[in-house]
Amino acid sequence: MAANPCPCNSGKTFEDCCAPLLGGQARAQTAEALMRARFTAHVREDFDFVAATHAAAEKDSYNKSAAEAQAKTLTWTRLEILETEAGGPDDAAGTVTFAAHFTQNGQSMVHREKSEFVREDGEWVYVDGEINPRSAPVRVDKVGRNDPCPCGSGKKYKKCCGA
Amino acid sequence: MERRFRCTGCGKCCQGRLPLSVPDALAHADRFPLFVLWAPVRPGGRSYDLTRQLGVTLDLKKKKQAALRVAILSYVPSGMKCPALQDDGLCAVHDAKPLRCRAMPLSGARAEDDQDDLLLPRAGWECDVGEDAPVVYRDKTVVARGDYEAEREQLIKDAAILRPFATMMLQAAPQIRMDVEKMASRPMGGHVITDTAHLIQHLAGVDAFHFAAKQLPVMEAFAARTAGVAELAKEHKRYADSAAHWRRVLGG
Ligand code: SF4
Ligand code: SF4
Ligand SMILES: [Zn+2]
Repeated sequence: MAANPCPCNSGKTFEDCCAPLLGGQARAQTAEALMRARFTAHVREDFDFVAATHAAAEKDSYNKSAAEAQAKTLTWTRLEILETEAGGPDDAAGTVTFAAHFTQNGQSMVHREKSEFVREDGEWVYVDGEINPRSAPVRVDKVGRNDPCPCGSGKKYKKCCGA
Repeated sequence: MERRFRCTGCGKCCQGRLPLSVPDALAHADRFPLFVLWAPVRPGGRSYDLTRQLGVTLDLKKKKQAALRVAILSYVPSGMKCPALQDDGLCAVHDAKPLRCRAMPLSGARAEDDQDDLLLPRAGWECDVGEDAPVVYRDKTVVARGDYEAEREQLIKDAAILRPFATMMLQAAPQIRMDVEKMASRPMGGHVITDTAHLIQHLAGVDAFHFAAKQLPVMEAFAARTAGVAELAKEHKRYADSAAHWRRVLGG
């Protein structure tokens, strides 16, 4: 294992892998390289890099403070690249399917996503992703029949949910 | 058929859950314990199409479908008074009262021809529905339109945020999808409640740390208020878990 392994698990050192991308000294040659760098940016909480590598159309909807807030509640542990389609030095678009492992509240979890990348002005940028089942952990509470139903008759209470 | 209605401001309906528009929820995040409601609505009802338009359509087994209403909720246990209701019976946020409260008793979330039952005061309410009260609904048409339309317009705006959020969550969080589908196929219905941790990422321009700082004391207060009450154990856990989440965000 390298002395200062890159958080993206490439097996290289950080300096030889994602650091030049995060530092702006180099550009990602492939969609996978950008994917790795964006993961590393999450690990290092460099959300300006994450924001800057969104496609122009998506930039406005990125909530950097929410990403920073989320980072306080979890620890990214490992990235696995599962599959890539196109996204090479000569391509204009590509997808990267990955599993990003993290721990939250002492539990190990995985975020699986198939991300779409395109080139804008020659640079790879992230468009969006299809998130696979069994990733985002959510606390769910089911509310059964004994609770007043907000959607059916609405008869049990007031400002209920209508519908 | 005419229905008359005048709110006497008795405050009796200011209790339990209160669905909020996105701007109302954000404006009062320092007061209301905010959660997300996922309420399936089955085909056949008058408000089905509207619910599909404002929410998402669920594909269920056997080619059945249901509409899913997604809304932010001030989640207060049934019978417990709204945190904005003062001891003198007045609303502490009167000048910035949520659209849902302004539109009472009508509901912008329901079809115009589906308002009848809302205009019958529930037991204990002191709404005036007598001769002197104004006609608010006639032949399934809303007469007093202002607040009703304002609420509907806001729901349409909110849908631009809530629909992609819901679509993403249903895709990414199989627990939600499974539970929502289960509720949708139960004869007696039901709904699902989740916290707002994921929603905040879809609210561009909202500072997540400010939001956390507002919600934390509210969740703590409701956790304290529900502590040790057996019937409210589930609610208590919900508040405590949410408080713990926002505390972690704030680095506590
Ligand atoms: S916000 Fe005001 S009007 Fe609305 S339920 Fe609470 S106390 Fe009542
Ligand atoms: S119960 Fe009726 S009269 Fe009393 S505050 Fe609610 S709507 Fe107004
Ligand atoms: Zn790397």
